[in-house]
Amino acid sequence: MLQLHALRCIPGLLLAGLLQAAEPASVGRGAPDPLIPPDIVGSEGKGYFTGAGIPADNAPIFAARDGAVPDGIEPLALDIFSTRDFYQDRALWSDPRYYRCNSAVGLEQIWGAYEVPLIGDDPPRTAAWGFCDRDYPREQIVSPYGFATAKAHFEALLTEATAKGGPTRHTAATLPAWSGRYGRQRDKRLAWFNGATLQIPTYLSLLTPDYQQRFVQQMYHYSGDNSAQWPGSYCWPEGFMRRLAQYGGASVQLLLTPDLVLDMRNAAKTLVTQIHIGRRFNEEGVVPRLGPDVPQWFGETIGFWDGEALITWTSNVQGWISHGGFEYSSKLQSIEIYTARKDAAGALLGLHHEVVLYDPEALVEPVRIVHLLDRLPDQQTLDPLTIMECIPQSFPVSGVTTPMSPGQVVEYRVPDIFGRPWAKIWEEYHEQGMQRPQPAKSRFGL
Amino acid sequence: MSSLNRATVTAACLALLGSPAGQAHHSFAMYDSGKTLVLTGIITQVDPNPNHLQVFFAPLNAARDQVEKDARGEPVVWAVEMDGAALAARDGITVNGLPRGTIVSVGLHPLRNGHTGGGRGENGFYRCPADTPPPPGKHCDSVAGAVALGEGSLQAVP
Repeated sequence: MLQLHALRCIPGLLLAGLLQAAEPASVGRGAPDPLIPPDIVGSEGKGYFTGAGIPADNAPIFAARDGAVPDGIEPLALDIFSTRDFYQDRALWSDPRYYRCNSAVGLEQIWGAYEVPLIGDDPPRTAAWGFCDRDYPREQIVSPYGFATAKAHFEALLTEATAKGGPTRHTAATLPAWSGRYGRQRDKRLAWFNGATLQIPTYLSLLTPDYQQRFVQQMYHYSGDNSAQWPGSYCWPEGFMRRLAQYGGASVQLLLTPDLVLDMRNAAKTLVTQIHIGRRFNEEGVVPRLGPDVPQWFGETIGFWDGEALITWTSNVQGWISHGGFEYSSKLQSIEIYTARKDAAGALLGLHHEVVLYDPEALVEPVRIVHLLDRLPDQQTLDPLTIMECIPQSFPVSGVTTPMSPGQVVEYRVPDIFGRPWAKIWEEYHEQGMQRPQPAKSRFGL
Repeated sequence: MSSLNRATVTAACLALLGSPAGQAHHSFAMYDSGKTLVLTGIITQVDPNPNHLQVFFAPLNAARDQVEKDARGEPVVWAVEMDGAALAARDGITVNGLPRGTIVSVGLHPLRNGHTGGGRGENGFYRCPADTPPPPGKHCDSVAGAVALGEGSLQAVP
């Protein structure tokens, strides 16, 4: 049985979290922020550093590497690095040792995705271990609010605002002065969705069986055969959850008007959330929506103000993946609450962004992510936010992401964008001989 | 109205609506507008692309009890290109409205290069009632309870 290591807070980070504006108790927002653990699980090729490149004083984090095994740990005879068919190992998926106690991001970068590689000179034998005695409490991940649906959550918050005489109808003169640029706090410990603080079995406990298999499939192809298929590498869509990934979506620009708020973020493409203030969803279809019955890559979002709190509901999302995170379905919906973080004098320091995700197809229960956005200084002299048009430079060549030069000729298979194209590549090129569970055929032989 | 006319009119309407699909996305010359095939099959997937929604389906055999197979024994899959996803949704042509396994009939102008695809043009598109294929040799427009997804009829033109 794993023991959670003692949780303690990081003073500076905790302080940042506490500086959000004081709000009265609510049924659906403002619960205490999730705990911030002192350590990540590992392994991690460049320690706690989050910038580009490798710092001069780089300190990789691992429990053992180069063929060693952490003290007191009995390795499994078969793990995700050595297996020939991870589908057959389902009974082992819930044992952290199957992943050598690496976190999800630990596996993602173990071959050197953007870090110092920790795979060693003789993989799989030499792949590094994370710390088996570290994990993140599941109860700090799941929603503390008890709503089964985003609709119920949103309506409870709307009722709460109405009881106070709201929702607040801001004019251009009364809108909070939030328009401008922000940077998200990027410490690896700050959000579980960064993927660094929890063991993979804890991650899997949040997912339904089908999405557990999808997640382990992704983890295998980071670790077992080094065949990452990040959507952004091919300029495929980035998708809704990329807004919340550690690196993607960390550069933010907000533009507020009384009727529409734009939340723009950058990854391989510019990610735009349009928050329609005061509108209501058409709820006649499979999922609530504003426009036609067509899933949107960033969904459709309505919202209202409760004083200086902006409360939003996003639905009609196109199911997809944010690499290193869980796959999500087109049933995904979110409730998001933006509130101000101010200093003692009332000056805006940044925003507190609380996100509760509902996805009955992928998640066994709703989960919560909390981010802290810092308002950037010198707003009038910042470089403009780059509008990202992704230009394809890499292509899957025999199942391997391969940078190509102008003029080169490559055999190209058209991806099935709406059919898990990353997985199609894995299954064709990297799962030969595996016995993947197959869906039953219909009576028409399809 | 010819298929070319329909495409032209559709493009003009989209332009008026300010839709991005109103911008000329591609020529329709790859389709043989002088021919119309009418096929009945099982939906495999709907791709809700903003410029042109695509419906993928596996045609049923004449007996309407099995999908057609290729030489390797795999289902043959056809693609039919429609209006942009937002416009198509107004006719009920959506991912949610046409889940995998839905039985449909569609008229299409086939690709000139012989590949298994076509453009819908002005042709009809019908959804059979759930799990109810048409009788042998017939199409969904002959089945009680079938739903027409937009305008147009199912008339083959060899």
